[in-house]
Amino acid sequence: MVTYIIRRIIGAVLMLAVVSMVTFAIFFVVPRAAGATADDFAARYVGKSATEETVGNLADRLGFNDPVVVQYGRWVKGIVAGAEYDTGAGVENCPAPCFGYSFISHQPVWNDLLDRLPVTVSLASGAAVIWVLAGVATGVLSALRKGSVFDRAAMGIALAGVSLPVFFTGIVSLVIFSYGMGITAPGGSFTPITENPAEWAYNMILPWITLAFLYAAGYARLTRAGMLETMGEDYIRTARAKGLPERTVITKHGLRAALTPIVTIFGLDFGLLLGGAVLTESTFSLNGVGKFAITAILKNDLPQIMGVTMLTAFFVVAANLIVDLLYAVVDPRVRLA
Amino acid sequence: MTKKSAAAVVAATAALALGLTACGGGDGGTKKTEGGNSGASAAKDVANGALEAVFNPSDKKGGTLKMAVSEDWDSVDPGDTYYAMSWNLLRIYGRPLVTFNPGAGAKGRELVPDLAESLGTPSDGGKTWTYKLRAGVKFEDGAAITSKDVKYAVLRSMDKTTLVNGPTYFNDWLDLPKDFKSVYKTPDVNTDQAIETPDDQTIVFHLNRPYGGFDYFAALPGTVPVPKAKDDGVKYRDHVVASGPYKFEKVEAGKQYTLVRNENWDPATDPIRKALPDRYEISLGVNADDLDNRLIAGDLHVDVAGSGVQPAALSRVLSDPAIKARTDNPTQARTWYTSIIGDVPPLDNIDCRKAVIYAADRVGLQNAYGGEFAGGDIASSLMPPSIGGWKKLDLYPTGTGDVEKAKAALAACGHPDGFETNMAYRADRPKEKATAESLQQALAKAGIKLTLKGYPTSDYFALYAGKPDFVKKNSIGLATNGWGADWNDGFGFMSQITDSRTIRASGGNYNLSVKNPEIDALIDKAYVETDTAKRDALWGEVDQKVMENAYVLPSVYAKSVMVRGTGMTNVAVSGAWDMYDYLNLGVA
Amino acid sequence: MTAPLDPTAPAVVAAPSGLPAGTIQGRSLGQIAWMRLKRDKVAMGGAVVVVLLILIAIFAPVLVGWFGHPPNEFHQEMIDPSTMTPKGGTGISGDFLFGVEPLNGRDIFSRVLYGARISLLIAFFATLLSVVIGTVMGVVAGFFGGWVDTLISRAMDAFLAFPLLVFSLALIGVLAQFETSLAVKGDTLRILLLIFVIGFFNWPYIGRIIRGQTLSLREREFVDAARSLGARGPYILFREILPNLIAPVLIYATLLIPTNVLFEAALSFLGVGIPAPTATWGGMLSDAVKYYTVPHFMFFPGMAIFITVLAFNLFGDGLRDALDPKSSR
Repeated sequence: MVTYIIRRIIGAVLMLAVVSMVTFAIFFVVPRAAGATADDFAARYVGKSATEETVGNLADRLGFNDPVVVQYGRWVKGIVAGAEYDTGAGVENCPAPCFGYSFISHQPVWNDLLDRLPVTVSLASGAAVIWVLAGVATGVLSALRKGSVFDRAAMGIALAGVSLPVFFTGIVSLVIFSYGMGITAPGGSFTPITENPAEWAYNMILPWITLAFLYAAGYARLTRAGMLETMGEDYIRTARAKGLPERTVITKHGLRAALTPIVTIFGLDFGLLLGGAVLTESTFSLNGVGKFAITAILKNDLPQIMGVTMLTAFFVVAANLIVDLLYAVVDPRVRLA
Repeated sequence: MTKKSAAAVVAATAALALGLTACGGGDGGTKKTEGGNSGASAAKDVANGALEAVFNPSDKKGGTLKMAVSEDWDSVDPGDTYYAMSWNLLRIYGRPLVTFNPGAGAKGRELVPDLAESLGTPSDGGKTWTYKLRAGVKFEDGAAITSKDVKYAVLRSMDKTTLVNGPTYFNDWLDLPKDFKSVYKTPDVNTDQAIETPDDQTIVFHLNRPYGGFDYFAALPGTVPVPKAKDDGVKYRDHVVASGPYKFEKVEAGKQYTLVRNENWDPATDPIRKALPDRYEISLGVNADDLDNRLIAGDLHVDVAGSGVQPAALSRVLSDPAIKARTDNPTQARTWYTSIIGDVPPLDNIDCRKAVIYAADRVGLQNAYGGEFAGGDIASSLMPPSIGGWKKLDLYPTGTGDVEKAKAALAACGHPDGFETNMAYRADRPKEKATAESLQQALAKAGIKLTLKGYPTSDYFALYAGKPDFVKKNSIGLATNGWGADWNDGFGFMSQITDSRTIRASGGNYNLSVKNPEIDALIDKAYVETDTAKRDALWGEVDQKVMENAYVLPSVYAKSVMVRGTGMTNVAVSGAWDMYDYLNLGVA
Repeated sequence: MTAPLDPTAPAVVAAPSGLPAGTIQGRSLGQIAWMRLKRDKVAMGGAVVVVLLILIAIFAPVLVGWFGHPPNEFHQEMIDPSTMTPKGGTGISGDFLFGVEPLNGRDIFSRVLYGARISLLIAFFATLLSVVIGTVMGVVAGFFGGWVDTLISRAMDAFLAFPLLVFSLALIGVLAQFETSLAVKGDTLRILLLIFVIGFFNWPYIGRIIRGQTLSLREREFVDAARSLGARGPYILFREILPNLIAPVLIYATLLIPTNVLFEAALSFLGVGIPAPTATWGGMLSDAVKYYTVPHFMFFPGMAIFITVLAFNLFGDGLRDALDPKSSR
């Protein structure tokens, strides 16, 4: 078991390394292959009416004149051992993990990301609670009353849920509930839960529901399918034959088996969301990791792009790892695979 | 380009401005609202009420002024910003040598001394400018402000490798020693040949050539004093040291700025600031539509960007008389236009360029920028009307496109059946996208086929439309563009966008199409002309030449529909910024 | 969200509605499935809508010629010159069935119809790309196993670790810089680029499923039987395994199309889709959001996306049920 865990962790770290190299290559190597010079890189970050000398100096300062490998090495070193940042007037120490400083705002990327994380975590976890509860409950009820009006209506709504783009449901709900009726927050504001839980929930409720609607639909369908499959299994028939009460059969035997794949998928979905719900955050102007990523790309802020990609990849890889390890605990055969 | 709006003067000579200062010193604040008990909403809302006069004047202190902005903000460091909103706002925490008189309309375009006792005294034929600092002005930590702090601030703002955002006027005009690179890299180089500080109250600027309008330079945020000991380059923006009536309480980049009263600011040293609110709360990164809604609902006082409401709010604002009464609709010293790039055949032929202008649907272009209120008036020249020397040009029709004339021009240029070219625009700017779409439709009627190319705003000038190489290789014949004046005169508006010698092969150019030795010669004449009226006339001539040669297709002289938050006092649209003057707003 | 909801390796967890491909045999597969599908009214409804949508996309120019105006044509006479919104609110009339866009008065009906072309074109070909890469990789990994499997599986993991949307945004921006050095330009280039990006990043979802299927098929009795009869690798691969993969490939391809429709819409919404003035649903929505006070502008493209995605999902579900008797409704 221990070797399995170690093997998987090493694998995860290697995966992150690959992701970082590919990302770095796309932003630093590909443009160069297309003919961009170090000065072209720097030209994005100079002010109005900058002289060619200024552009050249900035290219030096931001390190674009070094070979790409050296630039990548510097980036990795910053994460592992920290780095020093030239503020112009002096040097600022940036402790590990240092993902560099924004080329535009000159803020340390890592601090910015940590700053945005609570928003995304709030969004993802609140939405997750709603979608898991609503989705699983609907799925179980639908499966138990297969073919009923409830089942058809629920599955119809679920299918609608997965068929609507979140940026459409988001803006429609904003227009109706926030701008129109004024009963929910208009988006764009965030209060930490530690400061004021009520306001935190008020600000997040619409994004939660919008995001949860999308996922709940999928989970309801999965749960229903899973329940239908397990309830048809032989061991359920055996359990019933033993004379166990129906409630016990459903919860202890049926649901448990049906939920196993749901847990897996939940882990991965949640990991992906922690790395930024790009569309939801954009629609509701929430300053989370996803919106940070979009802004970084629009502004071509390379250190920020690298940082946010790594954070997102980290969550996905970590979620994968946790799910796999949990499986290994449950099912010893996996360890040998 | 980052500059959101612009300063504009009609015809203020330095001397005239000096004369006006004498009576402008009291700021006309003597007339107060009667029965200030209700204070906040004493005045009746009226549309354009703050355009020409101060709306709801008051001297009542207290309260929190709530501001918000949805757009980006480069920096609040006075030496590192090029946004009009920060040039306007920073005066609540920083005092430049000279500044624009807080007041409505033309009054706001007057220069008045701020940190200095009076406007600059020229000598040596305008090559040397001397300012005396007021006595008793202190930083927020109680340290006295000396001329050395001003000198240091100016010199540091010139390090464009560290503080990249600000303007480069001091770099271009001060008589610097060759071996001076930057206050950070070459701190020991003697710079007295550029800026002298004979004593703690006196500062003397030496230029490399005469310039009669140096007071405009002295009004740049770069002259806001910075204590050398507290300067840490790019990080100074996180803890700017105040010299004005407010100081930063909290700086959360991209999220929020809060400012509170600076106890070390002495009203006796400051004749222009009222310092009414107790607090400023400025939220950043707010959803633009939400910002408008909050402004209309009265939860917010000011949209800092001052660029007007979003399209969604526009119809609501204009159709509801109660809200419309709370709007101001100033014309800015900014022109939105399309560069017609002569480097790309067949646009190297003047008649082909003219064909583009004739064929364009000028009403359609106005609509693209938001129509008559939110967009602006149809422009017939590059230079906007509030700039000295502007005259109405009538070279081209301004209707919905003249296909006949366009076809005649096409025939004259040897392409009677039209031609094909590409048009660049900033893909993430809906108004420019609409401009490109409108032109594509209108030009097609005359046989000119446009292919539209959207490029990201962040790289538009650095890598795409502003890079001559790229433009030629990709045959970009047209490119959307826009320019706002840095300040009130022809120099402040035209020098960056019509002088072909500013064009650099490495990119980052804003002048995409005006390349004409005749125009360059006119500009040189304007630089050395010391008589304001003659200088203005020269800039007017530059404008005319640009239009005659069909280098640009102007769309609109920009206007904006701004909503006054409820409960504000002392509201005035400053002629210097064409947005609310942030210096003397009150909420009590 | 539906189709790739199964990103876990089926080697670990059986696919939620695991396809016991072995139980569906040869020729009868098509017939049985078709019988089941025909009885499923909802799925058939979805199929009808899908066919209609395809016809609309193909015949958009004809339909627009009859009922609308050229999609990029301005109708500024329909616009209030001060507020820039359509006169009378929406501009809906017999002449403009869905009303007009604010600002320039373009015919929303025509633009929605033309939007279908881009949307379906990109979704189909991106799906095709994913399916081809995914199937080849999945079969290779599952059939050969060993280090080949490890390599491909790790590659799939790495792909899934990238923030897809963010990455596509960035990649499209970077690749667009190459434009001058490419043979294709303008819309064609962008369409190819979108097909490539969407298709290329989605293949691991299909790849994992196919790998799992191949793994389990490889161990089935009938494969053992063939092997014991002396069948070689290629024979087993092409005669025993591939035919049994048709069903899952078909199902997941059908379910991937709506996901790709949404993906394309999201990219257009975020501003990296097909350049102006070409109409796309996501692009229209992104314009419409700025005019939320004129809600008909966002309603029609929004509904177009919804109906398209829903129809494909309904049909895909029905197909799954038809080909997989165990997860009956």
